[in-house]
This record gives sequence, C-alpha cells and structure tokens, in this order.
Amino acid sequence: MDYFIWLEETGFSIWMRESGPAFFSSLVLHSLSMAMVVGVNVAIALRILGVAGRVPVSAMARFTPVAYWGLAVVLISGGLLLVAYPTKALTNPVFYFKLLAVIAALFIARGWEKRLLRDAVYDTIRLPKKARLVAMASLVLWAAAITSGRLLAYTYNVLMASHLP
Amino acid sequence: MEFVEALGEVGWLDAMMNSSWGWPAVESLHFMGLSLLVGTVGVFDMRMLGLGRGISISSMHGLVPWGVGGYAINVLTGVLFLVSAPDQYLYNPAFQIKITLMGIAGLNVAFFYCFVFGPAKAIPSDADIPLSAKFAAAVSLTCWIGVIVCGRLITYYRPPYHWCFWC
Repeated sequence: MDYFIWLEETGFSIWMRESGPAFFSSLVLHSLSMAMVVGVNVAIALRILGVAGRVPVSAMARFTPVAYWGLAVVLISGGLLLVAYPTKALTNPVFYFKLLAVIAALFIARGWEKRLLRDAVYDTIRLPKKARLVAMASLVLWAAAITSGRLLAYTYNVLMASHLP
Repeated sequence: MEFVEALGEVGWLDAMMNSSWGWPAVESLHFMGLSLLVGTVGVFDMRMLGLGRGISISSMHGLVPWGVGGYAINVLTGVLFLVSAPDQYLYNPAFQIKITLMGIAGLNVAFFYCFVFGPAKAIPSDADIPLSAKFAAAVSLTCWIGVIVCGRLITYYRPPYHWCFWC
C-alpha cells in the first residue's frame, strides 16, 4: 500500500488523473488499439475456422504488423491508465484475470506467427481439428479479456490507496 | 422517439439494464461486436489500401459477412443503451457525431457495392488497387475509427453538464 500511495502522489500520476485530456485520450487510445489487436486476431482465427477459405492462411501474416503496432499502444495507454489509478487495478482480482487472458491469447498469436502462418501447407486445405480448437480458444480468451476489462470500471475495491482511512 | 421510449419501458429490459451486471455485460458485447467489425471489414479495408498484396479482393470479402454480424450485435446492444437512457445519448455531442459517422459509413457501403466492388473483385490478386476502392476503404476505416473514438467519448459529454455549441 505504501508503494501505491507514493505512486499516486507523484506529479505524473496526479496529472494523469486530473488533466482531462491526458486521461480520456489514454482511454480512447486503449479502446482503439485493443480493437486493432483483437480485430486482427479475430480475422486470423476466423480464417483458421474456415471463414474466407480462399484466402491463403499464410497470407494472413501480412496483417500481424497491425496487431503489433496496436499492442504497443495497448501497453503504453494501459500503463498510463495504471499510473493514474494503480490501486484501483492492482487490488482488483479481475485485473489479473484480464492480464492472464491477454497473455494467453498473445501466446496463441505468437504460436500462429511462428508456425501456422509460416507454413503454406494449410493454404488450401481444411485445418486440423486441433488448430480449429486453438482458434476457438483465442476467440474465447479475447472475449474474456474484453469482458474483464470492461468490468474493471465496476468491480474495483479501492479507488485510491491515499483515500483509505 | 416514441419507439425508443416504449422500448425503455419494457419491464425485463429495464430491469436487466439497471441491474449490477446488465450494463457492463451489454458494454462487453458491444466491444466484441466492434472487434468483429474491425477484424473483418477493417481487415478488408486494409487489403484494399494495399496491405496483403497477393490476396484477391473477392476472397478477402469472405470475411465481410461476419462483420455484418458484428454490426448487427452492435445495433442491438447500442439500442439497449439508447432506450435505457435516451436523453444521455440524444443530446450528447459525441453520440451525435458517432451517428453521423455511421450514416456516412452507410452511404459508403452503398457506394462501394454499387460502383466499386464489381470492378475491384475482377482484378488480379497482385494488381494495383483502383483509386475508387482505395477511397471507399479509406472512408470506411476513417468512419469506423471515428465511431470508436466518439463511442468512448460519450461518457465525457453527458448532457446537461457539458457545453456544446449546437445542442
């Protein structure tokens, strides 16, 4: 808690909370960049599941840079939001659940990039059942990340450590 | 407007949206719908802007029906927000701009299917993309990015606390 109080009282944290534009532009960027990351992952997952079957699976790799740029902005904007209200997120189990869901989904994405999307063998044939299950898991994980992210605004226990009695 | 008010009075809808889980659950669905839209229509737009050369426009278009599904989810969930607190939206400048951008995106869809898609799907998969297709894709991406930004900003422009020069 002492560390949270110290962080909340730094000039930067106060500025993030109290300057309207700094806070809401971080929120806007976090939504937009999250949509980029999830969007590209959804497109790849849908293709693996057989949607747009004439698009070569390996060609979907062309869109992964969009997800990487999105991820960079997700991390920066998320970090800024965390600096603004560190206690609010870090004392809420839902935040760690979101983090785990995102990490697991990114792990799947990394696997696609290193293997599935490099291999042209699946370009024209139906993908094996295991690959389709992993694609489903990715969709579920992103949905979980979105839901828990949205719940962060509603489920926190402590807004600010420095406000505790 | 009467329809909006009538829907707002449907008992179980009202109870759900005012419960502790209803609003965040519908918000989560709204974000999933938008991710589906960005992941299909957005990726299709990026293809037309030149990313993913080598993938034919017509095969890439196979993703788009799923985007229509995402759009449908978002109209449905969006209507739920609207009917639960109509005055928070109708007089909200962020919401008004969002609806305007959706209108432009809608006209752009009509323009795309009337004049652009026919010729664009006939070109070879690694040919240069016609300017009309690039234009439609740029309008689409810009509108949907704007829609997301305005959607997120709705909460900061709730009437009557916020001044707005045309409201």
